[in-house]
Amino acid sequence: MSNLFALIRRHRLNFLRDRVAVFFSLLSVFITISLYILFLKKMQVDFLADVASDSKQLTLLVDKWFVAGILSIIPVTTTLAQFHIPIHDTERKVTADFLTTPVPRAILQLSYMCNAIITGFIFSLIAFFLCELLIVVNGGTLLTFAETVRVLLILLLAVILSSTMNALLTMFLKTQNAFSIISTLVGTFIGFLCGVYIPLGMLPTFVQYIIMYFPISHLTLLLRDVFMSDSLADIFANAPPEVLEEYTLMFGVVFKMHGQFISPVVSYLFSIGSIGILLFFLIFLYTRKFR
Amino acid sequence: MPNIIDVTDLRKNYGNFEAVKGISFCVKRGSVFAFLGANGAGKSTTIEILSTLLKKSAGHVVINGYELGKGKHNDAIRRSIGIVFQESILDDPLTVKENIMLRGRLYRLSKDTLEDNYAFVKKYLQLDDIEQKRYRSLSGGQRRRTDIARALIHRPQLLFLDEPTTGLDPETRQFVWETLNVMQRDTNMTIFFSTHYMEEAEQADYIVMIKGGEIALEGTPNALRTQFAKDRLEIVFHDEKIGEALLQQLHVSYRQKQEVFILPLASTKEAIELLETMKEDIASFEVVKGTMDDVFIAVQKNELDVLHQKSDKSVSVYE
Repeated sequence: MSNLFALIRRHRLNFLRDRVAVFFSLLSVFITISLYILFLKKMQVDFLADVASDSKQLTLLVDKWFVAGILSIIPVTTTLAQFHIPIHDTERKVTADFLTTPVPRAILQLSYMCNAIITGFIFSLIAFFLCELLIVVNGGTLLTFAETVRVLLILLLAVILSSTMNALLTMFLKTQNAFSIISTLVGTFIGFLCGVYIPLGMLPTFVQYIIMYFPISHLTLLLRDVFMSDSLADIFANAPPEVLEEYTLMFGVVFKMHGQFISPVVSYLFSIGSIGILLFFLIFLYTRKFR
Repeated sequence: MPNIIDVTDLRKNYGNFEAVKGISFCVKRGSVFAFLGANGAGKSTTIEILSTLLKKSAGHVVINGYELGKGKHNDAIRRSIGIVFQESILDDPLTVKENIMLRGRLYRLSKDTLEDNYAFVKKYLQLDDIEQKRYRSLSGGQRRRTDIARALIHRPQLLFLDEPTTGLDPETRQFVWETLNVMQRDTNMTIFFSTHYMEEAEQADYIVMIKGGEIALEGTPNALRTQFAKDRLEIVFHDEKIGEALLQQLHVSYRQKQEVFILPLASTKEAIELLETMKEDIASFEVVKGTMDDVFIAVQKNELDVLHQKSDKSVSVYE
């Protein structure tokens, strides 16, 4: 195992010391923050102005919506950035150097995957900490222990799901230029695919379905469920149920697919199932590629 | 076990293209071995096969007593060999020590062994001043020292170097070879290298030249030079026309390069007679000793008579 750990450490150091790579892996996050400050926050506050009289509580709810979105984007972009390393290694013949050591190729591939999961999770944890800080500063309360555990579990699922997805997405790329293109595309689309850049309800129905079938959006949904449930209960306590339903559907706090509301359990199962399927394809393609 | 490498009828095909066409050679343990050839001759392919990076199509290779491509033997071979690649392939953001130690850990050495080995390579490659520097900030020569240290961190018995000094300044090239020679002498490590610099090849104990996937020539540098690199006399005449007429009159074969007439010599003594005969007309002259460069170029141009005569195209020369 020591050679696996050495490889993971090597990959992580390479990433963390490349400040440009770190910045670009978080670019989508900065864009999301900008969009939120510019108009996303105001849009939601206006939407709910008639329902909630307490503007402070309302702001807090909207902040939590935003925090859940950010936390579901970070696992995707930070794990994707890790898959620059195997492409760089192949292009610059570093892989050849590794393969002249007794390290099996499977361990080398596993090390890239583990690095993506570990580094992605570390970044997600830091982001989670900062998000909690933001909520507390804005007058909210810290999540309970049980909720914190749920968030950590969801983040772990998000990181594993994103890593397998990104490994598949990048496994046939041969050049760092090709990786840059994929990275830009993912960075651009992930905000839409998680329903963070534009509220879900504002999109055409077929796009909504694309998003709802995109596994990571279910983790956004689960995070929103954890973060927002108490605020939703407070704000919509005296409002008619239709108003709550309209808001939650509009802003992607719940999904309604083919006339059915999706429960958190279904979202968990969908995410875990997606990981299983993606892993199967990944291993299948790896064994074919390196046979 | 005198040979560290035994290659028998090694072949490598890429589809219908045969890159290596059944070559056989051996490398003595503790020797310095030069593997030469023009680009595309099959040199890198052979090195990649020997270093377990590429699968052979056919043939038999035994390295350090282990059979290449047989079960767990490849792992044992990998522990026996170190490779210095042509390119600098270590990690720019990491320091020299981090690079070497992280690669060292891939060989599953104990912590103490790894520390000892690091102290060993640090001493020979003079890494004291640069061990905490990032690889990115190193000069070409410092990078090469680090690359060699990385290749030696597990103390291999056989070191492959694929054009290790290409693009380096003469001082660094000299340092690299001096260091390698000292280490080789102290540790009895075998060095297997390829190069385009023939003066480097002359330092080898034995040379194999490959051309078109086949061995064209092999032998000790001295024997090859003596046999195939003819000395020559280079003359500039006061008057080219008179010089030309004179040479024709003397029935001396020559070729002309601008104003210089180049005359092949059977021996350097032959020059004395020729110079004596033509001394009135000569403006300047030089007797040039044959070098490995000449041998290499002759092989590439198929100029060695012996190549045409031998049916198997391969020539072995021993002293």
